[in-house]
Amino acid sequence: MKKLVSAVSGVLAGFLAATVFFADFTNIGSQSSADDSTNKSNAEKVYVPFGKLDEYYLFASGGHSGQMFIYGVPSMRHIRTVPVFSPDSATGYGFDKHSKELMGDYTWGDLHHPAFSETNGDYDGKWLFATDVGNSRAAVMDLKTFTTKDIINVPNTSGPHCAAFVTENTEYMFLPTRFAVPIGREYASLDDYSQKYRGVMSAVTFDEKSEKLNIAYQVALPPWSYDLSDAGKKMSKDWAVMTTYNTEEATTNLEINASQADRDYIVLFNWKELEKMVADGKYENITGQKMIFPEKQKGGIYLVPVAKSPHGVDVTPDGTRFIASGKLAPAMTVFSFEKAFEAIKNKDFAGDRNGIPILKYESVMEREVNPENALGPLHTQFDDKGMAYTTMFITSEIVKWDPNTGETLDRVPVQYSPGHSVAAEGDTVSPDGKYIIALNKIAKDSYLSVGPSHPESMQLIDLSGDKMEVIQSAPVNPEPHYAQMIKADKLDPLKIYPKEENRPDSVWKQEDTRIERKGNEVHVYGVAMRSKFIFDAKAKRPDVIEVNEGDKVFIHLTNIDLDQDITHGFAINSYNLNMEVQPGQTNTIEFVADKAGTYPLYCTNFCSALHQEMTGYFLVKPKN
Amino acid sequence: MSKTMSVSSVILSCISAVLLGVSIFFPWWGMNFIAPQYPEGLDIIVYPYKMDGRIDIINGLNHYIGMQEFSEETFPELTYLPYIVGAMACLILIVALVKRTKLMLMLVALFSVGGVLGLYDINRWLTTFGTNLDPKAPIQIDPFVPPILGENTLANFVTHSYFATGAFLMGASYLLLVYTLWRERKK
Repeated sequence: MKKLVSAVSGVLAGFLAATVFFADFTNIGSQSSADDSTNKSNAEKVYVPFGKLDEYYLFASGGHSGQMFIYGVPSMRHIRTVPVFSPDSATGYGFDKHSKELMGDYTWGDLHHPAFSETNGDYDGKWLFATDVGNSRAAVMDLKTFTTKDIINVPNTSGPHCAAFVTENTEYMFLPTRFAVPIGREYASLDDYSQKYRGVMSAVTFDEKSEKLNIAYQVALPPWSYDLSDAGKKMSKDWAVMTTYNTEEATTNLEINASQADRDYIVLFNWKELEKMVADGKYENITGQKMIFPEKQKGGIYLVPVAKSPHGVDVTPDGTRFIASGKLAPAMTVFSFEKAFEAIKNKDFAGDRNGIPILKYESVMEREVNPENALGPLHTQFDDKGMAYTTMFITSEIVKWDPNTGETLDRVPVQYSPGHSVAAEGDTVSPDGKYIIALNKIAKDSYLSVGPSHPESMQLIDLSGDKMEVIQSAPVNPEPHYAQMIKADKLDPLKIYPKEENRPDSVWKQEDTRIERKGNEVHVYGVAMRSKFIFDAKAKRPDVIEVNEGDKVFIHLTNIDLDQDITHGFAINSYNLNMEVQPGQTNTIEFVADKAGTYPLYCTNFCSALHQEMTGYFLVKPKN
Repeated sequence: MSKTMSVSSVILSCISAVLLGVSIFFPWWGMNFIAPQYPEGLDIIVYPYKMDGRIDIINGLNHYIGMQEFSEETFPELTYLPYIVGAMACLILIVALVKRTKLMLMLVALFSVGGVLGLYDINRWLTTFGTNLDPKAPIQIDPFVPPILGENTLANFVTHSYFATGAFLMGASYLLLVYTLWRERKK
């Protein structure tokens, strides 16, 4: 009997051991088939078959690539990269005359926060503004052509990180700065930081007719770092808010030294009042700019204490509240515009800082929201019901919560460490709900490895059900900081450029092509068409340009194939030149023929069955 | 057959004249080109006085097979055709008002001849363009004549030739006139 018991127990022990070591508990029947069907329906939610188009455009900032990435939502397919602050040989950006002038001497940029033009607080689908933290510039992109129309250098500022945000009817785009520098960026010892350095904010206007950006005025704010911002909406439309850190005015090891004070500030300002001050001459002319010094030209600007080193500050769609995300303090703070206006009216101040009145925290704050164990709140977006979605950088999740009650409604993990998020029209007066995309800073093992340098990761989250659900992940080049998501039918891009026969330097008929010499300048008025270049129809070889060494060469090329997607390129071998000419476009390239010799030229953008034959010669006669 | 037309015949003839006159302002004939990369199709649309559609693109593509370029200037018909059609409409109107059956019969005969000449002319142009191909063209194909009506396949293109609104109005005008005379035959 004993033998039997030990034999049976031995066999049982063996089965148990085998089960523990070899059984696959991850694949237990009903659970896995439920996962499979969830995955299948998620796949159906993001699949956009040929012949159908995505519902939304996603304009994701390209960070230090200096570019803008255009994606389709919900497919999360990358559609196009539009160069803004960096040259791009694929489109000839930074090579042709116009874009070369826009680029100036810069060869890169750090494109941070894109912002659509707005009408009545809603995206109007006309323009996109963007800022360059790397070289302190701002740009505007035309949503008809998806090309950069103007770039402006912002003086007195270093790194407009806290931008761009536009007012309700695109009256202004504001550019507050991340780094404080002395006015004019002159040399000044860091020992004189608090006296000589300033965090200058610029108010930029855009003229739709001339397609030019212009600085209307600047404000010499205290030497703090301005992080993120938002314009008011509806009842708060004349106002704007921005977060600050390093109000400690530390000049070294900011990681520690800018994190000492328990409270930093939200700067609350009334741009209508600032506009009026400028109109009334209450400013100083400095470095060619109209500069408001808040300690001298008083009014319109207030400080609201906030939990230390906040990142985002976002105005609710109804415009009644602004929400600061704590970053270092694990909470979101909901502030009331109404309370702030009341306190300002009653001059209910708790002293001032650098001549700017400080509102009392308790008199403006509505509630602190602290979802359990959620750490690193950075940035908040909204849905169609006014619910808030805040990214948690440290705990890698998005938390949905109710700004009216502070109640946490849902949480979804994302992979990993989301910076910003972007909801469908989620920063307008009427968000769409439907989708939010987490712009994750860490991708780690999410995609096939491409070595130590990783892509970033964007995750599409479905907001239509009760629970948030991640339904797609897409790798993206470094690195989206913020994005804008707009309903596709709000845009109406051109298919080809219109045939404007009076356009300067354009040629529309083969027989009108010509090469004109003026002294040592050679002007080529040519056409590109399937599948040839014609620079001078009357020449023995119409596709040849012959110049003398040292000549200044101007090549004006019109693509007379007025047919969708028939793009021609133009490159001269070994001359480090390339540009694109879209159907109906006239593009110009200028250079000095400083190398004598024989240089083939060719079409760089595959245009037709005889694209390979679309070539010619650029001959440079030596001086002697 | 009576010498003078009845009131109802006069009315029908007037309608016929109006239909013919109106047809000038509508496209008479067209050809639609479809290729894999042109799923939306490219059109040549011919009015009595002008051409419409994506002529430049079709010319651009045709140069690969060495076809001559065409434009409104290529076809002198477009300068005088609207006047001929207009004059014909006026004649029908005048004859209807003077109610002369015999004259109307002659007009119908003239109309018939004109129609046949028109068809001959279209076919002549199609033959000219399809068969006079530049021998130096990058893509060599056999000469061809696209049909006036119906489908044809050439390289990656399938073409559909068709008569359009103007032609149908003209046809209705013609049939109305024939019907009017048919009614007059027993009187």
